[in-house]
Amino acid sequence: MAATPRLKLPREAKKGDIIEIKTLLPHPMESGQRKGKDGKVIPRKIINKFVCTFNDKPVFTAGLEPAVAANPYLEFFAKVEESGTFKFTWTDDDGTVTTAEQKIIVT
Amino acid sequence: MRQGGIFAAGAAFLIVAGAFVLAVTPASFAQAKELAPLDTKGDASIRPWKRYDKWPKRDESKFNTLAKISSPPAPKEPRKLSGPIKGDAANGAKLVSNRKRGGSCLACHVMGPAGGANLPGNVGPDLSEIGNANLTDEFLFNYIYDARVYNPETVMPPWGSHGLFNDQEISDMVAFLKTLKSPAVFKTALDNPEKRPAPVEKRANLDPMENPGMWAIDKAKELWSKVGSTGKSCASCHGNPAMQFKAWASSLPKWEPRLNKVLGVEEFITRHARATTGAEYLMETDDNRVLSVYLHNLAEGVPITVDVSNAAAKAAYKRGEVLANRKLGQLNFACTDCHGKSANHWIRGQWLGTLKGQYDHFPTWRTSQLVIWDIRQRFQWCQVNIRADELPPDAKEYGDLELYLAAQNDGLKENVPGIRH
Repeated sequence: MAATPRLKLPREAKKGDIIEIKTLLPHPMESGQRKGKDGKVIPRKIINKFVCTFNDKPVFTAGLEPAVAANPYLEFFAKVEESGTFKFTWTDDDGTVTTAEQKIIVT
Repeated sequence: MRQGGIFAAGAAFLIVAGAFVLAVTPASFAQAKELAPLDTKGDASIRPWKRYDKWPKRDESKFNTLAKISSPPAPKEPRKLSGPIKGDAANGAKLVSNRKRGGSCLACHVMGPAGGANLPGNVGPDLSEIGNANLTDEFLFNYIYDARVYNPETVMPPWGSHGLFNDQEISDMVAFLKTLKSPAVFKTALDNPEKRPAPVEKRANLDPMENPGMWAIDKAKELWSKVGSTGKSCASCHGNPAMQFKAWASSLPKWEPRLNKVLGVEEFITRHARATTGAEYLMETDDNRVLSVYLHNLAEGVPITVDVSNAAAKAAYKRGEVLANRKLGQLNFACTDCHGKSANHWIRGQWLGTLKGQYDHFPTWRTSQLVIWDIRQRFQWCQVNIRADELPPDAKEYGDLELYLAAQNDGLKENVPGIRH
């Protein structure tokens, strides 16, 4: 998928800080409930799963449902104890996986 | 708005200073002073123009547009009725709140219990007690049929003479009006347009997390270095867009003598790219929109200052003013009916702003459409909404109108992409 994910989280933090993480993926989130002009149902195509890991340990996981609006925006918090890499993955109904990552230096 | 007299002296000084600088600076500076190349031949948008698929299709051809005057003339005399009106008040109550018949009376009037008193507007007077006013059937009938026979300055659509309702339907509405004898009861305070607070736009429109319109800028930067059919890209001549365009968008639209019309940013992009890189960025296509957002965004915070100092630009401004006051479409609204006379009122649940404030945030992200709209598309949608035929986005009438609108927004700061419903 060509859409670029958007991330917003600090690049530096102090040990033990609770940081705010904002993520957004441009995506139509077609619910599968709508009909097109030809009267046929537009097939469902949503991001059904979101995973965030830190140094490959799970931080936050979400199962998304058709009621979630276009461009799913997820905001959550994490406590950081060491420097490392946050990785984010979005899984589309069609199997496409979009990934993004950002490093954080913890002092 | 720049005024001719004050700036004439400044211009003379610049010419003298310019001659001196040209003599001692490299050729690149001299090039920047030359006129920007523009394609002056073809159209800048699709021909024949075709209305967007999702927009309503109706036959509005017999009514005024920005390009022609063709609406039927206003009647001179009220129509005489042969006797008292026989109408079905229950059907009238349905008709006045039927959004599919021209937007419904409730769009502008509080009307007692009609439509459940659900978010009525207040452009026109509250009619909840009109049944106590002892008005004649003939007066009520004619006021709906064509209010211009009593008040030539009215903004009320001529429902009868423009064919939106037939005589029987108007009679039903008159019968309903006569039943209105007590103030409207609102379910919530927000339903009362007199108490409803004016909307305030507070979203962080320059934050890509809040405004998907900002994503256009990434795409525009890609296009900037994309090589066109001539082997050149935007970057070939504009290597430092942040510096070179830090104010440019705030000075458009402007009169272009080579085309004999007013050019806005979007049409400039189309014609300049065609003449330089060879890329085809037709107006109201995605590539054109993202480049327009980018160029406007580079002028963030710069006050809008359009040039109406020369005679041709002044004439275009005057034409724009006339167009802004022309009654258009089946609903017979001028731009200034809603955004002048009736500004700062509610039309149903939508707030009507003044002309000042309708320009500084364009192109804007539309949360209800999930797309970017530039100002010309906004013009087109206004016209389709009032049941008038829109023009192609590069129509010269839109140029004149955009110049007039931009001048009304003089001094407001560029803030693009905006974010709106």
